[in-house]
Amino acid sequence: MEIYLPIAEQSMNVFILLGLGAAAGLLSGMFGVGGGFLATPLLIFVGIPPAVAVASQANQVVANSISSLQVQWRRGNVDLRMGLVLLAGGMLGSSAGVWLFTYLKRIGQIDFVIAVLYVVMLSAIGLLMLAESLSTYFKRKRNPDGPRGKLHSHYLVHRLPLKLRFYKSKLYISALLPLGLGVIIGVLSAILGVGGGFVLVPAMIYLLGMPTAVVIGTSNFQILFVAANVTFLQAATNGTVDVVLALLLILGGVVGAPIGARLAAKLPGLALRALMSLLILAVAGELLTELLRTPSSFYSLGSREVLP
Amino acid sequence: MRRLPGLVACLAILLCATAAAAQGPRLEPPLGGLPAPSLGGAPDTGVPPSVPTEPTTPDLIVDLSLARVSITSAFQGESILLFGMFDPPGEIVVVVAGPSARETVMRKQRFLGIWLNTGRQSFDDVPAYYAIAASQPLQRLLARSAGGEILSLEDRLSSVRPSTPRDTAELARFRSGLVEVKRREGLYPAAIGQVTVQAGRLFRVDLPFPSRLPEGVYDIRVYLVRDGKIVAAVSRPLPVGKVGFSAQLAGWAADEGALYGMGAVLMALLAGWLGGAVMRRL
Repeated sequence: MEIYLPIAEQSMNVFILLGLGAAAGLLSGMFGVGGGFLATPLLIFVGIPPAVAVASQANQVVANSISSLQVQWRRGNVDLRMGLVLLAGGMLGSSAGVWLFTYLKRIGQIDFVIAVLYVVMLSAIGLLMLAESLSTYFKRKRNPDGPRGKLHSHYLVHRLPLKLRFYKSKLYISALLPLGLGVIIGVLSAILGVGGGFVLVPAMIYLLGMPTAVVIGTSNFQILFVAANVTFLQAATNGTVDVVLALLLILGGVVGAPIGARLAAKLPGLALRALMSLLILAVAGELLTELLRTPSSFYSLGSREVLP
Repeated sequence: MRRLPGLVACLAILLCATAAAAQGPRLEPPLGGLPAPSLGGAPDTGVPPSVPTEPTTPDLIVDLSLARVSITSAFQGESILLFGMFDPPGEIVVVVAGPSARETVMRKQRFLGIWLNTGRQSFDDVPAYYAIAASQPLQRLLARSAGGEILSLEDRLSSVRPSTPRDTAELARFRSGLVEVKRREGLYPAAIGQVTVQAGRLFRVDLPFPSRLPEGVYDIRVYLVRDGKIVAAVSRPLPVGKVGFSAQLAGWAADEGALYGMGAVLMALLAGWLGGAVMRRL
């Protein structure tokens, strides 16, 4: 069954889009990340223009994060103060990101920048996660009841000024750190159409040293508002948000997320993380070959402008 | 019995989502987003027509199976039947040209092992769509028809103005790149369509339009060629535009981007909230 997407200006199979949404939902249910990092490249692979894919995917992230936030908020897993500091950075970053996106689109380099950013980020995160889960596996094998290590260690970053107390996260760190992190996530969110959970969650655990329990809820909180900002700005400046496309992705995601959550409860966490890292590396590899392989056509068209 | 509320709520999401989209600003839809068609207006060929084109002439009567191409939510491309009658003897040539606009062609090159866009060239009056159909091999008809009014795609494009000057060989390469991309999208059908003639005076031809079709008023010209001369010509405008829900959404997105964006966020919040709540119950 085909449906015409009014902003992407082409027809597309409904079930492909529902399936993509469901796959992203499955990931978000299993790993607590938005799944946008997988859905956006796949949308581009099936032929949606990158600008529309990114903007509509941001719209889907809004729906995805509100439905996880519902649960996390009720369980009290949101560090509101941390969330607000991250959000302040996120708003700055995403607004700058949409501006940068518009500029790159105008000079015809947006597809290239999207692909390169994806390759760099996905391979870095995939490798880190893989290394982490392998080393945990071997450590556990050698020494199953060994010391758990300190709650968190102190680096140079803890000497920055403007220290704030984050009670729920049991942290006393400089506000500049989450603020800067928020800015980076905001830029990524605007250019790549992702919530940024797959960067934010590891950064909150390893860089900020937040307790795992509040990480997912707090990141969901900041992602919700940043994705809403990206959707709004993309619609207002570029007119590239396709609500029909977004709605189909959302409907697929609504079905996929609980299935993912149920699967995650059955599978062991370590295997799950290893699986996730392999998946991330596979997407990165595919995008990298796209960049390196001689294209079937050397030419492409930019946007049409009707002259006065 | 436990499942029933779930199903009802499922329906409710769908309804609410559509309502959210529909409850946006009540703007007048831009009438299919089309400017008023100009009957028999000058084509973009840059060559003054040698024969005045009219909606109908006694020698040549033309009609279309559809008066307009309506891009609805179910649009997957369209095939329009053009048919008519002419005064024999003679041959029929049909030229369909979409509205002109500036197109930018980008060329990829390998740079440090990576393929990226390094070259770009804009052309000012590129037809969105261009197709020719004829009742006889076109070369023979064109070679004899003087005046240069009927242009093959190659001739039509060789006259497009580059927005910035460049050397001829490079321009030619970008032009052929442009044709290549448009062919791939089905906007410049490679083969010359076959106009079938029956009983020596009835003719028909199917005009194919792909799903990814730019909007605007397309110009359909039908020529009656006799002994290498155009003896009659008919021009028909064919409006192509989104209608119904698609048109409304696209109109809002273009004219009221900020409101559209707020609507999109609201729709996602509602759908995500309800969807999450429903799926947890099931």
